[in-house]
Amino acid sequence: MVSNFGFFVTRRAINALITVVLLLALVFALLHILIPSPEAMARIIVGNPRASPGITASIIKANNLDAPLYVQFFNYLWNTIHGNFGVDTQLHIPEVDVLKEYLPITLELVVVGQIIGVLIGLYTGAIAAANRNRAPDYGMKALYLTTWSAPIFLVAFIFQLILAYWLNLLPASGVVDPILYAPHYVTGMPLVDALIAGDWVYFWSALQHLLLPAFTIAVIGFGLVTRIERSSMIDALDRDYVKLAYMKGLSKRKVVWGTAFRNALIPIITLVALLFATSVGGSVIVEVVYHYHGMGFFTVNAAFNYDYTAILAFTIIIGISVIAANFVADLLYAIADPRVRLT
Amino acid sequence: MAISNPFRRKPIRATEVAVETQTEPAKTHEVKRGFAFYVEYIAKDKPALLGTVIIGAFLVFALIEGALQEAAALLHQSPYNANLGTILLSSNPIALRFSEQLLPPSFKNFPDLLLGSNFQGQSLLSSILYATPHDAVASLLVVGSAIFIGMFVGTSAGYLGGWTDEVMMRLTDAFLALPAIVLAITISVLIGGGFTSLLVALTVIWWPTYARFFRAQALTIRNKGYVEASKLSGSGWLKILVRHIIPNSVDPIIAYATLDMGTVILTYATLAFLGIGVTSGYPEWGYLSSSGLQFFPQQWWYSVIPGVVIAVVVVAFTLAGDRLQDLIGGRITY
Repeated sequence: MVSNFGFFVTRRAINALITVVLLLALVFALLHILIPSPEAMARIIVGNPRASPGITASIIKANNLDAPLYVQFFNYLWNTIHGNFGVDTQLHIPEVDVLKEYLPITLELVVVGQIIGVLIGLYTGAIAAANRNRAPDYGMKALYLTTWSAPIFLVAFIFQLILAYWLNLLPASGVVDPILYAPHYVTGMPLVDALIAGDWVYFWSALQHLLLPAFTIAVIGFGLVTRIERSSMIDALDRDYVKLAYMKGLSKRKVVWGTAFRNALIPIITLVALLFATSVGGSVIVEVVYHYHGMGFFTVNAAFNYDYTAILAFTIIIGISVIAANFVADLLYAIADPRVRLT
Repeated sequence: MAISNPFRRKPIRATEVAVETQTEPAKTHEVKRGFAFYVEYIAKDKPALLGTVIIGAFLVFALIEGALQEAAALLHQSPYNANLGTILLSSNPIALRFSEQLLPPSFKNFPDLLLGSNFQGQSLLSSILYATPHDAVASLLVVGSAIFIGMFVGTSAGYLGGWTDEVMMRLTDAFLALPAIVLAITISVLIGGGFTSLLVALTVIWWPTYARFFRAQALTIRNKGYVEASKLSGSGWLKILVRHIIPNSVDPIIAYATLDMGTVILTYATLAFLGIGVTSGYPEWGYLSSSGLQFFPQQWWYSVIPGVVIAVVVVAFTLAGDRLQDLIGGRITY
């Protein structure tokens, strides 16, 4: 079966690669449909809408903007593969440095938020399935349908209002207490860097600031997990091995959490990849409301300052990470359930 | 044509099966067909009925209000005075009233201050009602055009198979990999602000899901007997697509589209919250919420209430769509 699995992995990897190239082509096409002339592009790179023809001409020459489109596309592909996203038109530093600064903050927020969301979803889904068509089931359904339909900023407002302003439990905004010195840059993620440096004060402050935004991302995302977990749990609870577990005299608690729950976990794996995309989208709003200065916050600022390089870089990075997440989910799914490999 | 009204076409066998297995009607109970069936099915579930009523009220009001606003614009009436667009509202949401800034919700001056007023003294209730046409148009138009594009891309990919399928689906994957909000920001900023560009941006990010749905439908339908028969009688692939595959795959999409209209309103509100696609001087649900941000902890109701209104409308769509999805649940594969 090893060759079968190898074939599956290769096929999926090729598909993912093609999708990435198409994604880049898409972004490239978008850019060139919206900014058709080399002069307009040069003015954006200079960051001055009234740049003189001499300056634009030199920029066009320096950046090869007058080359045929396919040459430009391969240049673009080559640059992107090598991590060269151009120079930020707002800050006039390479886009990679901007990404290094802001992307880890967003990733940390999204990953923590997603882990919390999946945990909430698994718990509520299992409870709903174990009490099918009774009060807890309907309660969970009402809960997730509401959080699912609520705008992200509303959830953020309510959390901020109640937990931060009225109860004063957690800080209302920011990434970390601004009077603290940042630890040495290793990964860029505040929590991880503080751990590596052993700076507990910074770690504690960053954790406190992280909780509200992360919970907001979790709350808007957990409904899907609840729904899938509920149906796969119902499926698992009807199986013979669950009946056997009951017959052995195990308590309902042990059967639900010990036997059925473990078997109902498999469908959640692929869902995590799907959730990742929505969480990243959601993090944009969350970062704006909580002034959590990550990539989403920066992108919104960039959008209003016509900072094209930043927007495109963010779009590409997120797109590629979503494709990668999908690929990893496919692999995990194939490992968990060998029948998938045949397709 | 069969495509013009999906409710009236002949083979609705699956809905009848659903009734038999789910509710087991008495022998005297006549199984209704088409639209009446859906109405009856929804009416059996109280939350879904409530959702449908809210959706109906929202859409009807938006239609009337939008028509009045258009009429006012055609008659060149000044938006700062009372005009045709504001006759249904308790006050003009565009005129400034600095004596009534930031008032909390109260029964004073009922119903004008029921939801409070904003920093320019405009009643929040009037502003929210005045903004309904944009949200209704966005939800209907984006879902409608997404279905239309996804229908042709998805069914032709699924029916033709082979390389066409591979290329189209990889392209769809590439679109799906982009987070909706980020791509919408990118497109609407690059095209330039305004309501129309926002609609274009939303449609661009919305069609791939429908392409996936329709492809899955086409894959199951293309092996059916009537498709074979049509092929044998010499029909071309386009004719088979339009006559057989599309009409038979549109049914399960309805439930998803209902859910999706809520999502469009949500995304639209989110983008408006960021100030994208907002026309100055025209209230927008998401934008109302974000303009309350600067008065946030003190006048919290100013930013929370528009958010709650959005949530109520979206919940209505979710309830109705969820009920429809229960009905179709066994039939859709994605």
